Amino acid sequence: MKKKRHIKSAKSMPAGTRIFTYICLFWALIVALVPLIWLILSSLKEDPLARPGFQLPESIYLNGYISTFRDLHVLRYFGNSMFVAGVSVIISVVMISMSAYVVARMEFKGKTLVSILLYSTMFIPATALTYPVYNLINNLNLYDTRGALILIYSCSGIAISFFVIKNYYDNIPRDLEEAARIDGCGYVRTWVKVIFPIARPGIMTAAVLAFLNNWNEYYWASLVLITREKLTVPSLLSTFTTAFNTNYNGLFSAMVVIILPPILLYCIFSKFFIEALSGGAVKG
Amino acid sequence: MANPRVKKKKNKLGMRRTGFIIAFLAPTLVAFCVFYLYPIITVFITSFCKWDYTNIANPEFFSFEHLWDNYDYIFNKYPFFWEALKNSTVWAILGAAVQVPVAMLIALAFSRKMKGIKFVRNVYIIPNMISTAAMGIIFLQLYNPSYGIINPIIRLFKTDFNDSVLLLQGPAFIAMTFAYIFFTGTTTLMILGNIMAVPEEVREAAMLDGASGLRQDWHITVPMIKGTLRTVSIMAATSGFLLYNEVYFLTKGAAGTYSISYVIRELAITSPRTQFGRANSVAVIQILAGMVIILVINLVYSVSFKKKH
Repeated sequence: MKKKRHIKSAKSMPAGTRIFTYICLFWALIVALVPLIWLILSSLKEDPLARPGFQLPESIYLNGYISTFRDLHVLRYFGNSMFVAGVSVIISVVMISMSAYVVARMEFKGKTLVSILLYSTMFIPATALTYPVYNLINNLNLYDTRGALILIYSCSGIAISFFVIKNYYDNIPRDLEEAARIDGCGYVRTWVKVIFPIARPGIMTAAVLAFLNNWNEYYWASLVLITREKLTVPSLLSTFTTAFNTNYNGLFSAMVVIILPPILLYCIFSKFFIEALSGGAVKG
Repeated sequence: MANPRVKKKKNKLGMRRTGFIIAFLAPTLVAFCVFYLYPIITVFITSFCKWDYTNIANPEFFSFEHLWDNYDYIFNKYPFFWEALKNSTVWAILGAAVQVPVAMLIALAFSRKMKGIKFVRNVYIIPNMISTAAMGIIFLQLYNPSYGIINPIIRLFKTDFNDSVLLLQGPAFIAMTFAYIFFTGTTTLMILGNIMAVPEEVREAAMLDGASGLRQDWHITVPMIKGTLRTVSIMAATSGFLLYNEVYFLTKGAAGTYSISYVIRELAITSPRTQFGRANSVAVIQILAGMVIILVINLVYSVSFKKKH
């Protein structure tokens, strides 16, 4: 039944539309793949200068990859990123799912104000807050610690998580809580035992988006961390152009290794990412 | 007047409820105050203070006659402000006027039922999974005059071209724009999500009326997703206005490519003679510009969609 409709709608499309669709799809592939294919190709060449552009390598040369793991200790920076992004996602998502629940379900004075304040954070440019935040980190003696980044990431990006989670709460029927309340659960217990498990898909969506943002964040990471051992993956990148100097094979290999984890993660969980970003309407 | 025991119980319950509300709201509100409220207040107040590398510990309020000294410096003496404002504004406009339409066309293509669509869609998101810092460094290599792929393409039209595009006034700005503007994966997905949420019956009804393909999209689908289009336009314009990573990795502001964010960072942190007060004046301008962006886009959307219907 469903399959029948697929065929029907593809046939009923006007020729102009069909050609236009193909152009769009072709464009999408080019945009996404050309830089990456070129990057991977270059990383396999012993001397990218000798065979520039899309020329195939003479032979596959893997020394750059070996030295990325052996000399650059790239795994250490993945560990840093994982730690910082993971801890701050847990803090911010727990914190926000608590507040979003109160705003979604309870009446109290100042509720509108709280919503407006949290919503407004979406439009406050983080870069405008550069110096005050930098100053605050210094005053808390957190400069050049991973704790500083965890603090910043836990507090930023409130708005998006808040609305993703609150939207999910809004769709949960109220009867469930009432039943729990009648069974004698307190407010906290109701939330922990009943609401949190039901809202888990919404909370996971917010967590995935926040994790990706934190993992890729460069601005603050490059601002508060200096010691090489503590750098996260994106802030490591700014040391690349000088560190590799003329070792282009090493540079390209290291770049491939650095972009690989998010891509692999995406390939494994693409269904999840796509549902999260499209608000659940697109099946992955 | 009622049973005092009931009343007492009710009171206790009310207090519990208030306690619960406060306890559950407190962490987020603390985070808001630490990361947003306190910094914003600091930014506004110290934008009227003399505060630089000479008096790091104690910002000093200008007298009322000299209230606008920092702003005066930024507008009239600082060499890069107008260039940065112009660039950031152009990037904001391109975000709403180029990025969102491109994202929408691709989302419409993805919404059709064809073989291979799912594959293309999944591939198209990949660049958005990589940090913009990494994309910046990848493009830095693509633009490299000796082993990149941009120079050979330019040489097809201009055979003696051996410069780096990133060092030429004009081309540098275009090159920087191309380094991010076509990666619309997340925007496309958000729009696609809304397109798929349009009920099938509505589209089928439109098909019976003879509208199909692109015409159906233009008359039926686009007006139905205007809320999402407005939101993603605001997001695209804002992130265009805030561009920093690309500037840092590609040119460091050379060849006329300063952005407002880059100016703030340079004044506040990287320059050897840091000027916190003046950096915060630029930050105030950035915050105000963000509000202008929201207002303008809301205005444009309400005017253009009113005309159509």
